[in-house]
Amino acid sequence: MVYFILKRLVQSVFVMLAVAFLAFSLFRFVGDPITQMTGVETSVADQERLRDELGLNDPFILQFGRFTGDMLQGDFGFSYRTRQPVAEMIADRIPATLELGIVALLISLFVGIPAGVYTALRPRGIATQTILMTTLVGVSIPTFVIGIMLIFIFGVQLGWLPTFGRGGTVQIGGWESSLFTVEGWRALLLPAITLGVYQLTLTMRLVRAEMMEVMRTDYIRFAMARGVPMQKLHYKHALANTMVPVITIIGLQFGGVIAFSIVTESVFQWPGMGLLFLESIRFVDIPVMGVYLVVIAFFFVLVNLIVDLLYVAIDPRLRVRDVQ
Amino acid sequence: MTQRNLRQAALLGGVLSLCAIGASAETLRWASTTDPQTMDPHAVNSAPVLSFLNNIYEGLVRRGQDMSIEPSLATSWEPLEGENGWRFNLREGVTFQDGAAFTAEDVMFSYQRASDEAADVRSWFAPVSEVRVVDDFTIDFVTTAPNPLFPDSIANFMILDKDWAESNDAALPARDAENFATMNVNGTGPFTVASRDPGVRTTLVPNDNWWDEVQHNVTETVFTPIGNSATGLAALLSGEIDFIQPIPLQDVEQVEGREGFKVLEGEETRVIMFGFGHEHDTLLYSSDVTDANPFTDPRVRLAAAHAIDIASIDRVLFRGKIEPASQLVPAGISGFSEANQDRPAFNQERARELLAEAGYPDGFSFGLKCTNDRYINDEALCRAAASMFAAVGLNAELSTGPVRDYWPQLREDDFDMYLLGWSPGTFDMEHPIRFLMHSQDDEKKLGSWNFGNYSNARVDELLPQIQQEINPAARQAMIDEVVAITQEEVAYIPLYTQPLIWAAKDNINLTQRADNFFMLRWVTVN
Repeated sequence: MVYFILKRLVQSVFVMLAVAFLAFSLFRFVGDPITQMTGVETSVADQERLRDELGLNDPFILQFGRFTGDMLQGDFGFSYRTRQPVAEMIADRIPATLELGIVALLISLFVGIPAGVYTALRPRGIATQTILMTTLVGVSIPTFVIGIMLIFIFGVQLGWLPTFGRGGTVQIGGWESSLFTVEGWRALLLPAITLGVYQLTLTMRLVRAEMMEVMRTDYIRFAMARGVPMQKLHYKHALANTMVPVITIIGLQFGGVIAFSIVTESVFQWPGMGLLFLESIRFVDIPVMGVYLVVIAFFFVLVNLIVDLLYVAIDPRLRVRDVQ
Repeated sequence: MTQRNLRQAALLGGVLSLCAIGASAETLRWASTTDPQTMDPHAVNSAPVLSFLNNIYEGLVRRGQDMSIEPSLATSWEPLEGENGWRFNLREGVTFQDGAAFTAEDVMFSYQRASDEAADVRSWFAPVSEVRVVDDFTIDFVTTAPNPLFPDSIANFMILDKDWAESNDAALPARDAENFATMNVNGTGPFTVASRDPGVRTTLVPNDNWWDEVQHNVTETVFTPIGNSATGLAALLSGEIDFIQPIPLQDVEQVEGREGFKVLEGEETRVIMFGFGHEHDTLLYSSDVTDANPFTDPRVRLAAAHAIDIASIDRVLFRGKIEPASQLVPAGISGFSEANQDRPAFNQERARELLAEAGYPDGFSFGLKCTNDRYINDEALCRAAASMFAAVGLNAELSTGPVRDYWPQLREDDFDMYLLGWSPGTFDMEHPIRFLMHSQDDEKKLGSWNFGNYSNARVDELLPQIQQEINPAARQAMIDEVVAITQEEVAYIPLYTQPLIWAAKDNINLTQRADNFFMLRWVTVN
């Protein structure tokens, strides 16, 4: 087990290196950082000098080597835009993105799984058809539009919830959290729903499909014939067996939720990593973009690892194989 | 005093003090699209930074509500006798926000800091040859040549406290790493930073020891950058912020239609124009003319100018909010040439004639480069212009892209015609002549934004004279000559002055200055 985890972590280093390499080979097409860093009156000579100082004239391989070398030594560099240490900037933004992603995930699970079970058990009910229709709409509208719609309905028209930012946050040992204040939760609700809608639909449809499949299997029919109470049958025997594929997909999707919370964060001015990344693209802030992409790659690897570990926890057969 | 009177007096006093609290606790929450990158006034020469820091730091001179130059940390200034340059008499009794006294040493230090290679604002001091501290409250800026506009050109040169900067290892601006001044401030201005979370929130509070008479009634102000314009609008309409700059043109009606909100409109000083590849031998993006560059012929450039229907652009794209431009600064800016304020009329017939005269009766195709995220409606403008050009036979191959990618392409001469907006940093016509009309000269640092390298010997000759002329009438005559030449030769096609659109709640009174700076010292919350 320990060997398995270690192997995965070593693999993650290679994934991050590959991502950094790809990212760096693309950065030259993003734009010119120097014209973003200097004012209009700065002379061409001064611009060139700065370009030299930052090593932007060096060959690509040299720049990439310097970036990875520094990173391996724990030096993440300084932002071209704000001149702050990149490690600090990203670390400051991680809590916002993680909390948003996790709450979005929880919303999608706590609504999506029961809805999936319900729609599987009553496939022809009016409620089922309504749920399926609305979630189809929800998944076909782009995140951006859902966010703006929610803002205008609940923020502007009804005035119930804030339209941007994190609301009240508290510092807990360097972790800036919005989970401990009412204001924080109010601010979290709309972005989390926006980010979770797609996940929710996916979860629900997946659970529904799996559940309908499982309900047709022999052991369920046998259990039914034996008179196992319906409640127990549905939630213990049937649902448990639908969870393996569901967890795979949800887990993989969660990496995406973190990585692609960019749109939601932009719409809600949510000060997470995604927003930082967006600002960095606008300013061609190469150090921040590079580190962000590497961190995201690490998240993906980590989430995959957790998914693999969850398999073992959920599926007894895997444990048996492990023992053999 | 009787018992009753006493009680009444006490009651009255209580009510008064309640009123005072009610009137004084005014938090202003505002938003803008870009967070100031740094709190260091010498590190980045960009509008978001200078605009924000002008509330915290001050210069020797400052700009008033109408952009006029007025005394700030200098109470008066006069030309030096016997040599070129200016003497500034400094204000006495001014303290920095940390309590240190302001003296000429601080100005000297700030000059050295701002003119260092590490500073992005050093171009302001290119004309300066020497700075001398005469006494604690007198300082001389010696210039290499007469420089009547020098005081105007340093309105954004902000003064730091020498001891504060040196003791915090911030004697030079941070270029590729941070230092103390990136996050901390110590100015003499009306506001100071109470807390800052870059990209998220910056809180300013008034400086109780400010030397000038306080006109605002703000007790605290919270600034939030909101990059997404729809989010910014929602934040304003939901009442979470009091003021936002700018809002997109298409949202004006939304705001105006709502009770309790107002739109503030003005003219920015930014003139939008088309430029040409004057020194290109051939067109880069043409499918029919590959062995010549028709735009080297002034008749072709004039034809392009006649093809533009500015009234339709105004009506359709800008809801009547733009001011057509005849030259590279708008009317009202010093140096504006009133003798040359006609722009080429919209005349397709004339355009076709001119093209025929130049040997292109059937027109030709060329590449038009535009930004899509730099100026208001820039992409739409270029689409409209391309179809107007096409109507007279100039078939523009339009390519648009984000500004982060745009300037490098222009610097590499990768265009036939391009879009450019220019705001005169000194609020004087000399500025665009220096950057856009003088031939490219890296050594003298002239013509650095003259991408197409428009070049006219007379213009090059006049620029230094304009810079040095003390007599306003003689100066204006030379500027008029430059404008006449560049109009005659159609060096650029000036299109219009970009509008400035801000939105606020009805109870906020503020001043919209033409440089798009938001000065907290003029804000009152009712």
